[in-house]
Parts: sequence; C-alpha cells; structure tokens
Amino acid sequence: MRAELERAGRVADPDGEGLAGSDRCGDRVRFTLRLRGGTIEQIRFGVQGCPSATGAAAELARRVEGGSLLAAAAIPLDALDVPSRECGAIAHDALHAALADALGRVQLVPDERRRIVAMSGGVDSAIALHRERAAGHEVVGLTLRLWIDEHAPDAERACCSPTAVVRARETCHALGVPHFSIDAQDAFREAVVEPFVRGYASGETPNPCTTCNAGFRLDLLVESAARLGSATVATGHYARIVRRGGRAFVARGADRAKDQSYMLARVDADLLGHLALPLGDARKPDVRAEASAAGLAQAALPESQDICFLGGGALAPFLERAGVSRAPGAIEAEDGRVLGEHAGALSFTPGQRRGLGVAAAEPLFVQRIDAARNVVVLAPRERLARLRVELREARVADGCDRAYVKLRGRSPAVATAVSRADGGIVLDLDEPVYGIAPGQTAALYDEEGVVIGSGVIAG
Amino acid sequence: MERIYCDHAATTPLSDVAWAAMEPFLREQFGNASEPHWAGREARAGLDRARAVAADALGVAPAEVIFTGGASEADNLAVLGRLTAGPGRIVASPFEHPAVWLQLESLAERGYEVVFLQSGPDGRVPAAEFDRHVRSGDLLCCCIWANNITGVIQPVSEVAAICAERGVPLHLDAVQACACVPVDVGILPGAVTAAAAAHKLGGPKGVGLLCGRGLDSLDAVIHGGPHERGLRPGTENVAGASGFAAALAHAQAGEARAPRRRGIRDAYEAAVAGSLERVRVVGAGVERLPGHSLLVIDDVRGATLVSLLDEQGIAAAANSACASASAKPSHVLLALGLSEAEARSALRLSFGELNDESQLPRIVSAVVDAATALRAAAAAA
Repeated sequence: MRAELERAGRVADPDGEGLAGSDRCGDRVRFTLRLRGGTIEQIRFGVQGCPSATGAAAELARRVEGGSLLAAAAIPLDALDVPSRECGAIAHDALHAALADALGRVQLVPDERRRIVAMSGGVDSAIALHRERAAGHEVVGLTLRLWIDEHAPDAERACCSPTAVVRARETCHALGVPHFSIDAQDAFREAVVEPFVRGYASGETPNPCTTCNAGFRLDLLVESAARLGSATVATGHYARIVRRGGRAFVARGADRAKDQSYMLARVDADLLGHLALPLGDARKPDVRAEASAAGLAQAALPESQDICFLGGGALAPFLERAGVSRAPGAIEAEDGRVLGEHAGALSFTPGQRRGLGVAAAEPLFVQRIDAARNVVVLAPRERLARLRVELREARVADGCDRAYVKLRGRSPAVATAVSRADGGIVLDLDEPVYGIAPGQTAALYDEEGVVIGSGVIAG
Repeated sequence: MERIYCDHAATTPLSDVAWAAMEPFLREQFGNASEPHWAGREARAGLDRARAVAADALGVAPAEVIFTGGASEADNLAVLGRLTAGPGRIVASPFEHPAVWLQLESLAERGYEVVFLQSGPDGRVPAAEFDRHVRSGDLLCCCIWANNITGVIQPVSEVAAICAERGVPLHLDAVQACACVPVDVGILPGAVTAAAAAHKLGGPKGVGLLCGRGLDSLDAVIHGGPHERGLRPGTENVAGASGFAAALAHAQAGEARAPRRRGIRDAYEAAVAGSLERVRVVGAGVERLPGHSLLVIDDVRGATLVSLLDEQGIAAAANSACASASAKPSHVLLALGLSEAEARSALRLSFGELNDESQLPRIVSAVVDAATALRAAAAAA
C-alpha cells in the first residue's frame, strides 16, 4: 500500500470527480481524474479511512490509470485485494461517482457493436443485459439514480435506490461488463416529480411513469449512450419496437399480462428509433427462470409496479412530504348532499371505491375531485360511465378514425372512434368506461397492438 | 528487512525461564495432579511449586491463588462469582478490559445498576471519584490496575482502602501491570481479587490466575470438580502454571528492566512529537507502564498507520478496529474524552523484551513517514 500512496492527491481541473463516505465509520474517499479521449490519463485519490478503504483506493487508482474509461467501469469490487469488502466499497463507490461525473465530459468514438442497457437493478433489465450480450453486442450497463427519499417507509423499494444501483453494478461486473450510474435526482424532481405533484394539487391523477419515459428518462439514456459511443439503448420493458415506413412504433409485448407498451406510449418516434427491447417476445415466468439459471439474485425479487418515488408508501403521505397541504373537506353526492368528510381530497382518484368511509344504501364510487372546493364527489357506478373522452397533448397517426384505447395502465383496451377537435382528440367509445381519471395517459392501439397515438385525458 | 515487534501489550514470546519450567511437565511428568499415584504426585508437586512461586511474586498466600485458563476467564469469574446475592450495584472504572467491561454491560441489561466512573483526559481515575461513588452494600468494585491501551496506572492502593472501609469487594485486572511494574496484592486491604495472564509476560498462552483474599468470599460459577478450590474445575495445566509462575516471578523481579523500556519509549515519543505536528501523548503527565505509548496523531487513521508499519516489518496496534459490527472506537479511548475521529487516530506501541535502542531510528522514521503520507492522502479526501 505504501508505494501506492504515491497516487494520493488531486488532479487539478479534473474531468471527473467523485466522493463517497460512510457516516458510520467516518471513512471518506475522493477520486479526481483527467481524460484524454476515452482513456484515463491521470487519476489521484484522497482518503481518510481504514486499511481496507485506503488499500482499495490505492489499488483502484493503480489499476485504472492509463486504461480506458470503460475498463475502469468494469472492475468488480470483489476483485480488490482488501480484507473488508464493506470498506473497499467506499472506494469503489467513489470511483464510480468520478466515472459518472466524467461521463458528462466524454465523447467515445461511436462503435456499432456497443449497446447501452438501462439497468434498474431488477430482474427484467438484468435479463435484457444477458440477452443483448448473448446476441453479440458489446454491452454497457447504465443506471439512473433518480430518487432517494429517506422518509419513505421502504426507501429501498424505489427502483433507483442505492441498493438497486449496487445490484445493477454487480450484475454487470459479474459478466465483466462496465457499469455507470448517473445521478439525475435534481432533473428528475423537476421533470417528473414536480409536475406529478402539481397535477394532484389541481385534482388530476397524473401518470408519472409515462411522463418520465417520454420526457425525461429515455432522453437522458439515449444522450448518455451517445457519449459512450452507442446509438442504441436497450431496456427491460415488455413491449416491442416495430418499424413502418422507416418510422419506429412501440407495440404490445408478447406477454399480454405483463405488457408495458402503455408505459412507452408517449415516447417520440425519434426516440423509439434508438430503443431496443429484448424482452418484447418474452414472458415473465421465462425471464425469472432465465434469471434463476444465471444465478441472479434478482430472480426472486418482488415485482416493482408502484410509482418508484413513492418508495413503497402510500400517495397521501408522499404528497404531504412534497408540500401539498391536506385539508379536510366534504364528501358529497352529485346533488350536493354532504355524505361525509375526507382528510384530504387529493389522494382520491375517480373510480375508487375503497377507503371512502361513507355508508350508503348502494355502493358509491368517486366520480370526480373538485379541487377548487376541496370536495370529493361520489356517485353510483352507472353514473361514472362515460362514452366520450377528450384528450389533450394528443397525437395520432394521420387518417386514423378507429382505434383501441387504454385509459389506465391496468385496464383493458376499448374500441373507439377517433376524431380531431380543437388542439386535441375526441374519443367516442363503443362501450362505457367507468372511473376515467383526468391526467392519466390514453394510449391508442391498432388491430395489431401497435401504439398509433396517445394523449392525456382532459378534465 | 529486520522485523521489529512493538506490541508487547498484545502478547510476548515464551521466555527461556518459562520454557525451562514447563518442559518437564509436558512429557516426563505428565500426570493428572488429582490422582494419588506416583504420576499424579509428581504433577501435584509441580503444581504446588508453581502456586507457591506465583503467590510469592504477588505477595499472597499460596492458598490465595487459583490458576485459570487465561485472564479473561479469571476476570469473568471475579465478577460473576459476586452475583449470587441477586441484582445490585457495581462500580467500575471506565477503562476496564472487555473481559470485565462487556460482562458489566451485559449485567446492566439484566437489571444490575452499573456505575462507570469518569476520568480526566490523562487516563487516570482520581481516587476521589471512587470515594464519591463506592457505597457500602455494593456487590463489587472493578478497577483495572493499568489499562491495556493507555498503560496508565490507576490509584489502586487508595481504591482498595476505600473499598475495604465500606466492605465492598474489589477486583483488579492486573494483566498489563504484572508484566512490568510491581504488583503486591497481599498488601491491599479488604476482599481483593486480582487477575493476571501468563502470555503478556513471557509465559504460555491459555493460562491465567486469580488471586487475593477475595477468593474466600467468591462463589463458584462453573462446576465440575474440586480443582482450584472448586472455583476453576478441570484437570490442572501443570506445565502452563509452572511456566506462568516462572515468568511472573521473573517479571516481578525485573524492576531493573523498567528504566530501559522507559528510555526507549520516551525517546520514541520525543522523536515523533518533534517531527510531527498535532501529536498528543496520552497519559504523559501521570504514572504509566514504562513500555507503553499511546499517541493520538490527528488526521491519521491508526489502523491504516498500523498496516503501513506492518509493511515496514513493524508490529504495532491501533485499538480502533473498524469493520466490526459497530465500527465504534474502543470505549477506553472515548472515556479519555477523545472524539470518535481522534479515537480512530490512536497508535499504540508497547516496548519490551524484543526491543532495543538501535531499532529506534527505523521505528521513528517509519511512523513519521507513514503518518505524513496518510495526512497528505487525507487532505485530498
């Protein structure tokens, strides 16, 4: 270790800088590095730590200096010769923070074989990585660190928790694959979480996942992929990309129960052209079996279907943490009769029946939220029925006048007539749909399950 | 590269006198000392001799010595053997060895009132602190004679007088003290017990003793036969006891060696403190074991310094193991009033039989160079 302390110090005006530490033991490691092209020309470390953290920092600096950025991102923690893995991890984390920082300043020479795989830490993206690698691509794992909410009841259930990032990294490193994680928390808050909170505050039921995929996450992934010299990003979505007349469309995955095409419905065609979806033909049980056979720890992880930033918790406390005030108000019938009281209107959604706390002769459902008056309006099921839905921020293929529409992530598609109106689209459904929630994404499919349009359900 | 051992407080090699005393009992006189036949009688004679030698070295009667399987066992026996009266109050110094400390922490969780006394930054608990807290009716008072990390010697005679006056049994962990300062247990008043370990002073590992008049009022906590007054049953380790007794007598007769150790220690501390800024000597102003040195070197992780010294062939100690479940520094260092960061910056060297002045330049430059390099690395963190 002594000789390697010679790389202690800082690189002046670094291209990448990363810091990691543990409050528990007080250890801290900082890397600074300078790039020349895709090569780490110089790296220096600072450390205040135990022998393992110090030894790991020194060893990493020695191993990565003079090598490529990609090779540095592929060194497994377990390859380090230190007595304590936990302490070595501090140095490993600091290096990865520096590599992520350097990613913002790098432009690798494009390489057609290279493919970026978006890794959440879950089983689907892990198998996407395995499949892309088996298909002959030179794969690189990339994880976006989107949200850490230490007040959430189960912060580790957020798909981008620190544990999930480490799991994604370990999945890559077990295959000798480089891994990068990008801290995008601030941008995510601005682009996804804040609009979500504003939507609820105005009485809508926004869909943050479709917003995130369309306006934030995939953009960032494709942009980062370009920096790493790759034109294509693979994700673990259960959906397919089809091409028609040179344009890319998203289409239903082969596993109808697991289909995630709805989640990608709002993504631009240009962006879809940069996507590869290796699980489009897969069924979830097969993916789990593949993960088991590959010995992946993720094989047994529970499904994560919640909104990631809720962190396993309920919506109402999240909104409160986000500063949306919760005021008690009336629960009313359509005719204005007061049926009861609620603790806060915002966490209700149209179609909801559970947790209303109102006794009535017939089953009552939430019909709508009157945000201006802080009132939740209930009605019998038949009164929730709607045959006409207006979409804003909508687009649909030219000449399309019939489609199948999904109005929520987990609802079946309904046949509908499509017509254009001022700045939007009007859907006249063939059969009534109950509990339509303004703010949710509507995805329009054709007969073949291809997404041909989308919009946001207007109020 | 010549290897240098500066960790005598951790353990020591078996001395010639100890080996000579042990050897006959390992193969020739192998008997079980509890048997009445010739083989047993030979062993019994050896054991009696060892007990007499050890008792003489510590100023107690042979009947006031029992041999144990190490000092941790003796410490536990001395504490647990006082508890048959049921939950009560125990007073202890904040510098107890884990063999006492962890036992007391466990008792505190089980309803005993355990009072840990306060210390000043010099590592010595004033006798007045015992005077203030020890009460008649207490089950036990514990005071380590000299702490294993700091080497600071506690005011044992005054503490014994206070406890004797109030009728409170006193247990002294004399493990480190026995190796390099006079330990006269017999002269102390009251129901005193003292623990010692062979391997810290040139004896074999796995042998300890508990001694003192306090044995009379101690209850058995392990059962299995009449050996060692029924307090430590099991076939006697005659070779171990013989080696221990010889080494103990040698150590206790070795006052002449103390100035040499002190000379090496003081020269080392002066040289390091003269070359590095922000270094403190713990216990500089009070009586310490002559070979012990505990330095707090700011912004230098002790454990990492120790590993760099190890690469230079120098064995030292940091007493601040991390990667343990708690990652908390030693309670002893915190009791000195050090912050957690300072406690992680401690370096202990303990000089002894294997050291001489000619090693000093290498030791000093290794410590200074490594600390300087680590400070540079820390500044960049």
